[in-house]
Amino acid sequence: MANLNIDSVKDRTYDAIVIGSGISGGWSAKELCEKGLKTLVLERGRDVQHVKDYPTTNLYPWEFEHRNELPYSVQQENPIVNRCYAFHEDAAHFFVKDQEHPYVQEKPFDWIRGYQVGGKSLLWARQTQRWSNFDFDGPARDGFAVDWPIRYQDIKPWYDYVERFAGIAGDKDGLPELPDGEFLPGYPLNVVEKYFKQQVEAKYPGRKVISARCAHLSKPNQIHIDQGRVQCQNRTLCQRGCPFGGYFSSNASTLPWAAKTGNMTLRPNSVVHSILYDDKQGKAVGVKVIDKETKEEIDFFAQVIFLNAAALNSNLILLNSTSSRFPNGLGNDSGTLGKYVAFHNYSARISAEYEGLLDYKTDGRNPAGGGYIPRFRNLHKQETDFLRGYAAGFGAYRSASADESGIGADLKNAILQPKYGNWGVGSHMMGETIPKESNYVTLDGQKDAWGMPLLKISVDYDENDAKMKKDYLDTMEEMFTAAGFTNIRRNESSQAPGLDIHEMGGVRMGKDPKTSMLNSWHQLHACPNVYVTDGASMTSTSTQNPSLTYMAFSARAVDHAVNELKKGNL
Amino acid sequence: MNRRSALKQMFIMAGGLMIATSCDFSPKSPSIQLKTISLDKGDEDLLAELVEAILPKTDSPGARELNLHLFVMKMLDDCTSPEDQKTFLAGLKAAEKVKGKPLADQQAYLTGLPADDNFFKILKRRTLQGYKNSEYVMKNKLKYELVPGRYDGAVKMEG
Ligand SMILES: Cc1cc2nc3c(=O)[nH]c(=O)nc-3n(C[C@H](O)[C@H](O)[C@H](O)COP(=O)(O)OP(=O)(O)OC[C@H]3O[C@@H](n4cnc5c(N)ncnc54)[C@H](O)[C@@H]3O)c2cc1C
Ligand code: SF4
Repeated sequence: MANLNIDSVKDRTYDAIVIGSGISGGWSAKELCEKGLKTLVLERGRDVQHVKDYPTTNLYPWEFEHRNELPYSVQQENPIVNRCYAFHEDAAHFFVKDQEHPYVQEKPFDWIRGYQVGGKSLLWARQTQRWSNFDFDGPARDGFAVDWPIRYQDIKPWYDYVERFAGIAGDKDGLPELPDGEFLPGYPLNVVEKYFKQQVEAKYPGRKVISARCAHLSKPNQIHIDQGRVQCQNRTLCQRGCPFGGYFSSNASTLPWAAKTGNMTLRPNSVVHSILYDDKQGKAVGVKVIDKETKEEIDFFAQVIFLNAAALNSNLILLNSTSSRFPNGLGNDSGTLGKYVAFHNYSARISAEYEGLLDYKTDGRNPAGGGYIPRFRNLHKQETDFLRGYAAGFGAYRSASADESGIGADLKNAILQPKYGNWGVGSHMMGETIPKESNYVTLDGQKDAWGMPLLKISVDYDENDAKMKKDYLDTMEEMFTAAGFTNIRRNESSQAPGLDIHEMGGVRMGKDPKTSMLNSWHQLHACPNVYVTDGASMTSTSTQNPSLTYMAFSARAVDHAVNELKKGNL
Repeated sequence: MNRRSALKQMFIMAGGLMIATSCDFSPKSPSIQLKTISLDKGDEDLLAELVEAILPKTDSPGARELNLHLFVMKMLDDCTSPEDQKTFLAGLKAAEKVKGKPLADQQAYLTGLPADDNFFKILKRRTLQGYKNSEYVMKNKLKYELVPGRYDGAVKMEG
């Protein structure tokens, strides 16, 4: 700050600053800009403009040098990100490589990141299930973590709001554990998924199989066309970036919308080092940025700051924002910053075959991926020896394949005339993990190339997760058997936490400033002009995919912030 | 690449493969640039015969015509572990004895290898991968659509 003159300070002053341009930051930016605030969006990665910067999006399989496989050396150099199912030749450029941004694993943790304008919104699988009161009253009911300071009714209108803009395909299923939303038409279950639905719902009261809800424009409304997006074309090549804007990403939706207001300044290549706290004013006044290219230090100023760097990076930035008032990280009076990190348990799958309905096949591709089994365990009362429960994906597929055992002309003919075999069916678990003080992140002594301390991650599964996983496999095996599926294969993976890519917590919400970081509006209890609305704010993790909830939180928090600014409270 | 070498090497996109047709290289060099293994033109010719033995020309092009030997080389070079590269190269050397022999002899040689022979496994896997994902097959035979624009989960099949 010292060597800069007054004018230049003025040039670097905005009404609001958003840190991070991913799913949550894009929403914060859109809302702030629409409400008339001059907003600076700081993004550590490079710029990625919709369509223009999707280099692989229109390539045919044969146009990939290695037919979508990554070179051996790339896989060897990237053991962590290489474990992500979507890390292939077509989308590798949107993932952080292991060497580029190291971190310290006190316990194994596969931290999967996308550092660019748009963040992970370019890569996500677009599953968007709402959370319900079974999730928001979970900690209070089951006695873990702390009580959420909000309930479903607080967030419901904001779910409505973001769903209408983002475009969510889904059916109205009327389930209290998975509330309905403002949906575009859902994608149909296929014939075997429907068959399984009937079997499950007839034999197991309380268990449901529905079409997965996803952020795709199955049938766009005017608001989507106004964004320049058109109907999803069922390519299912989404992780390359979609030239149609068929799925929701910051790049296709919120960021261009924010830019159109004329109020957004997007600054890529800006590594946010810390949030600046002014002792005299008793509030945050701006952020310190290291230019990614020049390594130059620059301070930017604003009245309100939205922290949306994705859960663990938001923890890192707060831990690194020290001052005499906050020697242990900004807002950290409770000492809970970095603690109670939790995630989802995706470590079990099950697959089988179905020998029925062989006179049917599917045609085209389903961007929703198939079916979704909402959580049914311990929902209305505690019925197992583990806490909470799991949701599950379910999908059936049938494709033609050939016997490839031979050689010569016979082999060639077989390949050119593939035959339809049995249906394949599969499911994966999505378990809730319990936030605990012993699952935490801290700062390491080593620094990265931009002078940021490395994040040290100490997060692990526990006995509750092991019991839940066994229950998932046993229960699904029973349901598969009951449905007449054969050749059932249980698949337990020993994967580390993180690979679920749903890391949450560390800056949790709560009613009591002594035991939480954020109030019910996502403001730091001790520094109310800083809002944290990404996964870091989650008090517990639920079983549903979290990103839709980050969107709703961001929109709701901006509304609050702008009202507070008007009242002069920030 | 500077302008000069760009001009010297004319690259043809053949199924994503860069084929250097320049006279930069000695006649013994293979048609594609290799980074981690060394193969000469003779090895390439042998590979071309072997992929053709696996998927020969019938009323449609065989593996050789589709340049699948170059694809196998590319995948061997870039996407294969050093250990597998080693066993593959040893297997290729051993296969030299069928070079120039009739197709049936070459096929008999390949199918006569032990079931777990790594050379044959890699050769066959890559040949098939290249074939199924080749422009020719994907455009004319197992038609691939980049944009289906539809999803029907219950299509009644004929017969
Ligand atoms: C393959 C894959 C599949 C997924 N599937 C789903 C799914 O189906 N459903 C679902 O709900 N979620 C899914 N997710 C998770 C989802 O992508 C994330 O939950 C979501 O993107 C989080 O939003 P965010 O804004 O918190 O973070 P991000 O979208 O990651 O954005 C954070 C941004 O902040 C930037 N940043 C970080 N540190 C700094 C700094 N110091 N300074 C400046 N900028 C910084 C980053 O570069 C990044 O651009 C998936 C993720 C992946 C990778
Ligand atoms: S499935 Fe839809 S969103 Fe995904 S790439 Fe295709 S058109 Fe785009």
